[in-house]
Amino acid sequence: MAEKILAIENICKSFGGLLATNDVSFNVNKGEILGIIGPNGAGKSTVFNLITGFYPIDSGSITYKDQRIDGLTPDKICHLGITRTFQVAKPFPGLTIADNILVACLPKAAKVSDARAKVDEVLKIVSLDKKADVLGADLTTLERKRLELGKALATNPEILLLDEVMTGLKPKEMDDMMDLIRELKKTKTIVIVEHVMRVIMNISDRIIVLDHGQKIAEGLPKEIAENNAVIEAYLGRGAKKDA
Amino acid sequence: MGILALVLLVVYFLPLTVFARHILVLTLFYAFMGTGWNLMCGYAGRLSLGHAAFVAVGAYTSLLLFSHFSLTPWIGMIAGGLVAVVVMMLIAYPSFRFGLIGPYFTLASIAVAEIVHYLLIYGRDLTGGSLGMSLPYVKETTIINSLINLQFDGKEPYYLVILGFWLVGLLVTWKMERTRYYLEAIREDQDAAAALGISVNKNLIIAACISAFMVAIGGTFYVQYFRYIDPYSIAGFTLSLNMALVAVIGGSGTLFGPTIGAFLLIPLTEILRMTLGAQIPGLHLFLYGILLVVCIIFLPKGIASLPGIIRAKKAKNDQKPENQASKGVL
Amino acid sequence: MLLQIIASGLLLGGIYALVSVGLNLIFGVIKIVNLAHGDFLMMAMYGTFFLYTVQGINPYVSTLIIFPAFVLIGVLIFRLIIKPLLGKAETEVNTIIATAGLGFVLQNLALMLWKSDFRAIETNLTGKSYEFAGIMLSAGRTWAFVVCVAVAVLLYYILMKTKVGTHVRAVSQDTEAATLMGINVNKIYTLTFAFGIALVGLAGVILTPTFYVYPTVGLYFNTMAFIIVVLGGLGSFTGALIGGLIIGLIESFAGVMASAELAQVFSLLIFLIILFVRPQGIMGKSARV
Ligand SMILES: Nc1ncnc2c1ncn2[C@@H]1O[C@H](COP(=O)(O)OP(=O)(O)O)[C@@H](O)[C@H]1O
Ligand SMILES: [Mg+2]
Repeated sequence: MAEKILAIENICKSFGGLLATNDVSFNVNKGEILGIIGPNGAGKSTVFNLITGFYPIDSGSITYKDQRIDGLTPDKICHLGITRTFQVAKPFPGLTIADNILVACLPKAAKVSDARAKVDEVLKIVSLDKKADVLGADLTTLERKRLELGKALATNPEILLLDEVMTGLKPKEMDDMMDLIRELKKTKTIVIVEHVMRVIMNISDRIIVLDHGQKIAEGLPKEIAENNAVIEAYLGRGAKKDA
Repeated sequence: MGILALVLLVVYFLPLTVFARHILVLTLFYAFMGTGWNLMCGYAGRLSLGHAAFVAVGAYTSLLLFSHFSLTPWIGMIAGGLVAVVVMMLIAYPSFRFGLIGPYFTLASIAVAEIVHYLLIYGRDLTGGSLGMSLPYVKETTIINSLINLQFDGKEPYYLVILGFWLVGLLVTWKMERTRYYLEAIREDQDAAAALGISVNKNLIIAACISAFMVAIGGTFYVQYFRYIDPYSIAGFTLSLNMALVAVIGGSGTLFGPTIGAFLLIPLTEILRMTLGAQIPGLHLFLYGILLVVCIIFLPKGIASLPGIIRAKKAKNDQKPENQASKGVL
Repeated sequence: MLLQIIASGLLLGGIYALVSVGLNLIFGVIKIVNLAHGDFLMMAMYGTFFLYTVQGINPYVSTLIIFPAFVLIGVLIFRLIIKPLLGKAETEVNTIIATAGLGFVLQNLALMLWKSDFRAIETNLTGKSYEFAGIMLSAGRTWAFVVCVAVAVLLYYILMKTKVGTHVRAVSQDTEAATLMGINVNKIYTLTFAFGIALVGLAGVILTPTFYVYPTVGLYFNTMAFIIVVLGGLGSFTGALIGGLIIGLIESFAGVMASAELAQVFSLLIFLIILFVRPQGIMGKSARV
């Protein structure tokens, strides 16, 4: 059986009166790609924010390798080995791309020179090596997404949480990104939030579905595609089904 | 840095007029203060216009210790620095904890300086109120005693002292390479920095405390050099603003920015003051103000940003053809 | 005695509120800190002073000259200094520094032209008080208070009931959305800035009969105005009024009970606490995606 690396149990989070996360539980197994889907506003990003400590959970527990991580600050969680990307990419606009990556390498590097030595490698992985001296503010959408991924990779996480890294990309760019993620799977565990069905069905080992802050389904991609509740959650609200 | 220090050391031996030496001392003083200010306000982007609060705390602490207990200013300045750190924590901790950023942080910093200003006036029994305090002058015969009391007859020794302070300030900033990167990341995007494993509050507080400590030490130097302080000059808005200005005009968030700014602005103001100030009071500061506004409009990132701007422009232009070619290839 | 303290506190508060309204408007809509705010006040006070001493124009009548003049000055300053700085990464820092520099320019201009003397004018209201149920109200300050309330009401009307006001509110909430709605953000900014400066000009006129004029008088009012703006809440004019009254009362009470300096310290502490514990509206954006 797969080895459980992250256990989310009964977590809740409300913003004012709105229950953004309502009693959600799921496990993440080592080495898998877990897809999270759900309509806009379903609470996908909120789950990432809760796991990485950007918001405190109201109740429930989050356990990473037998250690409770709820209540820890985002930087501590990153040090433990969980790094997330932001749905709206957050480059450091005033720093060059190389420095963006350097900053991401630094917290886990013993010496600044060690971090420096890693920068080129990361830049190559996300195909930004030619842009090293460009400022974070001067990137295209695609480049921003790549930089976002590159920064997360630079922290050398065990679990990578990817929040809509494909949104806004052209089909060809998506294919490249998918190849990259499959490559990353060899060494990392990945949780990916995505809107694009073609991508998520293709790439995920397992999928969970959120709607209105609740988990409404969990299973293999094939099972999810045939699940009535899921189809209703999507089609019922007129969201178009991709591919 | 080494070369610059050497040049400045050579300057020490030049036969300069008293006025020229005074300008040099002031310039290095502001270069040092700007360097201290820069750590928190430049790198971390928390714009403080109340740093005079910490200067005043440092100055009054060492002065009071000296005049009441004859404690050498060398120890007094450490004590003053520590008190300034405590005061800084009182403001920095809640500011960072409650996420006070942008203009709100600036306003809070101004308020802190005002509070210190009014408290100094209020505590007139101890501080002399708005009349200020003089440094008890000790006539010394031996160099050792002069050194211990940090009081000299000529300007030359002060020049060496402030040159040393400034060098140490630069060195400290330079040595904090990792922290500097963290602070820049925090300045650019606090959440993104935290997601990458950077402890936002810890780094901000480290920067704030070192910054307060440095300018407080500058406060002690100010007392020793001018031999007189009052709340208006040492806790007032003008001093706060001047520290910020040398850094911003030179290029805040860069190692040498504050020094460049000080070497440009301070001699200029002093010379303007000498030549115009006596005839028409205010004219030199009027011109100074206009210069500032013009500088900010045309070089918003300061003089130190010039090479970077040119490099970035070049990088952008160089990239254009390849950019086309590599399109679609991840 | 207690009533007297409250009454003087309220009148003082009204004046403070009037001084801070223009700042509030600029801060609330353009999101910039105008550190030269108090210095515009000072210029208006000198203007009023000389219009009276040289031309013999009654201070209250000189509003008709000062107000439009300050609208023009506001437009000019906005075009020359503020606009080039907007929309960049360093906007916040640079507008603060630039307006501080502008303040320097104005203060020293005043020093050059009029020396550092304290000046005051005597009008038919000077030294006069109204007695009301045993409470003495300074005539000058009473009128200042009345003007303040009138301005607040007028502003409220303009912002809430007119088309321009709707546009200003839209811009203050979301510039991008406002642009999409076809609102000329630049025009609204210019208008807001000019109007904000004109309002502080008006405050200067009203203050002149009861306050000394000197080159750095603006510094004193500057701090006060910022405290009130934050205390009352950004862009809220009732807030500014209430904030002004609170500070006026604190000063009036603390001035009687302790010392003038402690009164200031007390106001400033309240200001800091409000900054810390009332993050909504006064904290920058922290929403995550
Ligand atoms: N900081 C916040 N404050 C208030 N409401 C929020 C906040 N963050 C998210 N929400 C709300 O929680 C719900 C879920 O949001 P989110 O997790 O971003 O959805 P998704 O990523 O699935 O599109 C939405 O209704 C959103 O408006
Ligand atoms: Mg989302």
